[in-house]
Amino acid sequence: MAHPFIFEPSMFITEISFTLIATVLCFLIYLKTRESYTLTKHEGIKYFRDAFLLFGLSYILRFILELIIISGFAFDFIIPRDMFAPFFILSVGYVSTLGLWYLIFSSVWKNFSRKSLMITGHTTAILLSLASFFLYSHIIILYAQFILLIFGVILIFRSGTHVKKISQTKILYILTSFLWLINLFIIDKKGPSRIFGAWGFWIDLFFQIVSIIVLFIIYHKISHWLK
Amino acid sequence: MNKKRDRLAVIYDILDIIRNHHNSMKITPLLRSANLSSNSFADYYAELISKEFVKEMIDSDEHKYVTLTDKGFKFLEKYKLITGFIEEFEL
Repeated sequence: MAHPFIFEPSMFITEISFTLIATVLCFLIYLKTRESYTLTKHEGIKYFRDAFLLFGLSYILRFILELIIISGFAFDFIIPRDMFAPFFILSVGYVSTLGLWYLIFSSVWKNFSRKSLMITGHTTAILLSLASFFLYSHIIILYAQFILLIFGVILIFRSGTHVKKISQTKILYILTSFLWLINLFIIDKKGPSRIFGAWGFWIDLFFQIVSIIVLFIIYHKISHWLK
Repeated sequence: MNKKRDRLAVIYDILDIIRNHHNSMKITPLLRSANLSSNSFADYYAELISKEFVKEMIDSDEHKYVTLTDKGFKFLEKYKLITGFIEEFEL
C-alpha cells in the first residue's frame, strides 16, 4: 500500500549532508588523479577521473532536482516545477549517463577506438536526457541507466583480461553505479518514502551511508597509490 | 591489449637511461640503449620533448645533448605508483 509522502526536516538535513559528502568525495577522487593523468595522458585514467567529476556534478544536480520536487509541500515557497524541473531532469540525465559510460570506458577503452566510445557515450546521453526531458520524468533515466548498467557489467566482465575475473575494483565500480541509481530512485515521490512509509527514511539513510562508504573506499585506495 | 602500459614502460626506460648517464646523453647512444627501431624511437623522442620530460642542450662544441626536466624526474619518481594505481583499478 502506498503511503502519503511525509516530509521530515531530518530527512532534508541528511539529504544535504549526503549530497555534500558524496560530491566532495567524487571531486577529491578527480583531483587526486590529476597529476598521474598530467604525467601519463593515460586514457583509462582520463575516463576514470572524468567519471567521478560527472558523478559529483550529478549528485549536485540530483539535489537541486529534489529541491524542486519537494518545494511545493516542504517549504513555504514553491519553485516553479514546470519551468525548472525539465531542465534539471535534462542535465541529470546527460551528466549521469555520461558518468556511467565513462566508468565503463575506463575498464574497456583498450578494446575500442576513442571515436566510437565518444560517439556511443554522448549519443546515448543526449537521447536519454531528451527523452526524459520531453516525457517530464527522471524515472525514465533510472530505467534506461539500469539497462546501461547491466550492459556495462557484461562488457566489463567480458573484456577482462586479468586472471581475477571478479575483482574488488569491478565490484566497487558496479556498486558506485548501482548506488547512483538507488539514490536517483530515492528522490522520486514514488520512492522508498511512499512504499515503506516512515521506514522509507531509514532505507534512504542506509543506502546513502553505503554510497558514502563505497566512495570513501575508492578514495582511500587511490590515496594509497597516489600519495 | 597492453599497448598503453607498454608505452609508459618504454618512456620510463628512456628517461631512466638518461638519468643513469648523469642526466646528460647524446641522442645516438640513447637510441642504441633504448633498444627501439629508429622510427619508433623518433616517435617516443618527439613525445618526450612535447611533454617536456626532456630538453635538448647544445654544448660549446655544438654537440646536442638531452637531459631530463623536472617533469621528467617527477615521472620517474611517480612511475611505480602510477602503474600500481592503473593495475589496481584495471584502467
